[in-house]
Amino acid sequence: MTVRIFKTSFCVGIAVMIVTIAMFMSVLYSYYSEQTAASLRREADYAARGIELSGEEYFNDVSFENRVTWVSADGEVLYDNEVNAEEMENHSDRQEIIDALNTGYGTSVRYSSSLSQKTVYYAERLGDGTVVRLSAEQFTVGALLISMQQPLIVVIVLSLLLSFALSARLAKSIVKPINEIDLDNPVDSKAYDELAPLLSRIARQNRDISAQIEEMSRKQREFTTLTENMSEGFILIDSKARVISNNSAAANILCTKKDMCGEKIIEIDRSREFRTAADEVLEGKHCERQLDLRGRTYQLIANPIMQETALSGAVLLILDVTEREQMESMRREFTANVSHELKTPLTSIIGFAELMKDGIAPYDDVPELAGDIYSEGKRLITLVEDIMHLSQLDEGYGGSERENVNISELARDVIHRLAPAAQAMKVTAVCEGENVFIRGSHQILEELIYNLCDNGIKYNKKGGSITVKTDDKGDRAVLTVSDTGIGIPAEDMDRVFERFYRVDKSHSKSIGGTGLGLSIVKHAAAYHNAEIRLDSRVEKGTTVTVIFPLTEETASV
Amino acid sequence: MRNKFDRQLDTLNSELIKMGAMCEEAIATSVSAALDGVQKPKGASEEELIERTQAIENEIDRLERSIEGLCMRLLLQQQPVATDLRTISSAPKMISDMERIGDQASDIALLSKYVSDSNIQQKIHIKEMAKAVINMVTESVDSFVKKDLELAQKVMADDDIVDSLFDKVKNELIGLIGENTDCGEVCMDLLMVAKYFERIGDHAVNIAEWVEYSITGRRHGSGGNIL
Repeated sequence: MTVRIFKTSFCVGIAVMIVTIAMFMSVLYSYYSEQTAASLRREADYAARGIELSGEEYFNDVSFENRVTWVSADGEVLYDNEVNAEEMENHSDRQEIIDALNTGYGTSVRYSSSLSQKTVYYAERLGDGTVVRLSAEQFTVGALLISMQQPLIVVIVLSLLLSFALSARLAKSIVKPINEIDLDNPVDSKAYDELAPLLSRIARQNRDISAQIEEMSRKQREFTTLTENMSEGFILIDSKARVISNNSAAANILCTKKDMCGEKIIEIDRSREFRTAADEVLEGKHCERQLDLRGRTYQLIANPIMQETALSGAVLLILDVTEREQMESMRREFTANVSHELKTPLTSIIGFAELMKDGIAPYDDVPELAGDIYSEGKRLITLVEDIMHLSQLDEGYGGSERENVNISELARDVIHRLAPAAQAMKVTAVCEGENVFIRGSHQILEELIYNLCDNGIKYNKKGGSITVKTDDKGDRAVLTVSDTGIGIPAEDMDRVFERFYRVDKSHSKSIGGTGLGLSIVKHAAAYHNAEIRLDSRVEKGTTVTVIFPLTEETASV
Repeated sequence: MRNKFDRQLDTLNSELIKMGAMCEEAIATSVSAALDGVQKPKGASEEELIERTQAIENEIDRLERSIEGLCMRLLLQQQPVATDLRTISSAPKMISDMERIGDQASDIALLSKYVSDSNIQQKIHIKEMAKAVINMVTESVDSFVKKDLELAQKVMADDDIVDSLFDKVKNELIGLIGENTDCGEVCMDLLMVAKYFERIGDHAVNIAEWVEYSITGRRHGSGGNIL
C-alpha cells in the first residue's frame, strides 16, 4: 500500500515538475528570444542611422552591447567591433545578409557546434546598399537545463523524500480506519462510506455464520445429550475402524478413557468378539455379539453405515443384558422345574393306577392306593394353582382392583382357616395387633399371609407356636409372622424366594408344598411395593417381616 | 509414499495387537481346559477347548508369518528411521515371543487330559500361577497398545511373583509325591504345566522389554542404546 501510494505520488510529482519546467521554459524562452530579437532590431536601427549619418566614424563614437558587423553589398566585412574585419571572410553567403540585401532586413539563427549556444542575427540594409548586422549569443534550452541541473536534482530528491514521507502517512491514515474496523460489528465502524456495502455484506455473513455455528452446536449438544443420557454404550467408527465419537457409557463399559476419539477399535478392546464384530461390520454386515466384561453380560450390536454404495463407517451399540440374561436363565430353570414338579405326582398317580388296573395290588389295598392317588392329585392341583397365581402375579394382576384391606382381619381369617393344620402339627397359632388398613388387593394379600402362615406351621416343630402381628407405624404398616420352627440356614436365605427352591429337598414330600410359597409372597409384596425382611436361625425359628408403605389415601381411612 | 508408509505402520500395529489378543485367548482357553475351578466358556467341553487352543495356535503362526513379511517390506521399501525403525525392528522379536506363548499354551492344553485330578490341583498354587501369568500377558499386550512404559516395567517386576509361585508349586508337588507315590505322574505333568506358565511369564517379560525399547530406545539390562 505504502509503496504503491509512494510510487504514484512520486510519479505525479515528477510529472508535474517536468510539465511545469517545460511550459515555463517554453514561455520564458520565447519571450526572452523575442526580447533579444527586438533589442537587436532596435540597435540595428540605431546603427543604421548612425552609419548613414557619420559613416565609419560612427563606430568609434558609440559602444555597442552586442556584436556589430558592417558588411558591404558584396559581402566584404567593413567593420566588426569584436573581431578584426580584415581577417573575416566574405559574408555574402550568410542567410541574414542575403535576406537583408534582397528585402531590406533579415534574420537568422545559427547553433554552435555543441548546440549549447545559438547566435541570433539581425541584418538591415542601409541606404548605400551596405548591410549592418547585429548578433547576440543566447543559451539554448538544453544548455539552460543543464545549467539548472543542480537545483533540479535538489528538487527531485526533495520531492522523493516528501512523497515518501507523505505516502507513508497517507497509506497509514487510509489503512488505519480499515484496520480499526471491528469485524464482529462491521456496521458500527466509522470507516469510509465506500466500504459500507462490503461491511454490510460482512455483517450479513457474520450473522449467517454465527447462526450456522449456533445451529451446529445445538445439533451437537442434542446429539451429546442424547448419547450421554443413554445407558447403552455408543461408538461411531469410520471405515478404518477408528473411533469418531463415543459416549461416556461406552467408555465406562469398556473401562477406557472418556474420549476414545481417534483410537482404533482393536486398541480399545482386543477380545475376539469385539474384534471380529468390528471386522465384520466393516465388511458391510450387520452383526450381534455377546460380550462378557467384568462379570456382566453385554450385547454388542454393530450396524454398518452405507453412503450410497460405499461403506463410510459403523455404529456400535453396547447394551447391558445382564438382567435379561439372568431372567432368561431363570425362566429356563423354571420351565425345567415346572415340568419336573408336575411330572413327579403324575408318575405316582400313573404308577398307583397301573397297579390297580392290572390287578397287581390286592383288593384290600385299593382304598389306600386311591387315597394316594387322591392326595397326589390334590398336590398336583395345588401346584397348578400356585403356578397360576405366580403367573398372574407375573402379569402384574392387571384385573385385580385395589381396595382398603384390613390385614389384621385377614390374618385372623387365615389363622382360622389353618387351625386344623396347626392342630395336626400341634402348633399354637396366635394373632395379635390392632386393625391395620392398607390399600391393595384382598386376594393377593390373603395369599401372602396364607403362604407365610402355612410355611410357619408346616416348617414348625411339635408344640411350637406361630405369631402373626400387625402394627401401624404411621407411615407404614408392618406384618410380622414369626414361628419357632426349624429355621433357614444362612446360606439358603438368599435363595428361598426362588421358585421351586427347597431348603431340605429330601423332606419336601412328607411336608408337602410346592416350593412356590415364598415366591408368591415375594411377588405379592412387590405388587404392594412392600419390603420383605427375613430373619432366621436354624432350630430357633423364622421371622418374616413385611413392611407396607402407607399412602395418604389409606392413612385417612 | 509416506501415506502408504503410515498405513502400513498402522496395519503392523493392529496386527501386533491382534496377535497379542490371540495369545491372551490361547492361554485363557488352555487354562480353562487344564485347570478345574476355572470358569469354562459356555457349553464347551474339554476336547473342544483343546481343539480351540490348537486352532488359535495355528492362527498365531499364520499371523507371525504375515507380520514378519510386513516388517521386511517396511524395512526394505521405506527405510524407516528413529521411532518407526525401533517399532519395526522390535516387532519381529515381539512376535517370536508371542508365538512361543501360543506354543506353550497349546502344550498346556495337550497336557490337560493328564492333569485333571482336581484333588491335587486344589492342594497346589497352580491356579494362582495361571492367574498371575494371564495377568502378565494381558498387561504386556496392554503396555504395547497404550505405549505405557510404567505398565511394561510392572510386567518385568511381576515375573518375580510368577517365579516364586513356580518354586512354591514345585515344593508342594515334591511334598505330594512324598506323601503318596501313586500321584507321581499327575504331579510331574502338573510340574510341566507350571514350567510352561513360568516360561510364558518370561516371554511376557520379553514383550514388555521390547515395548520399553520401542518407547525409550534402550534395551532393558544392556544399559546403552542399540541404535
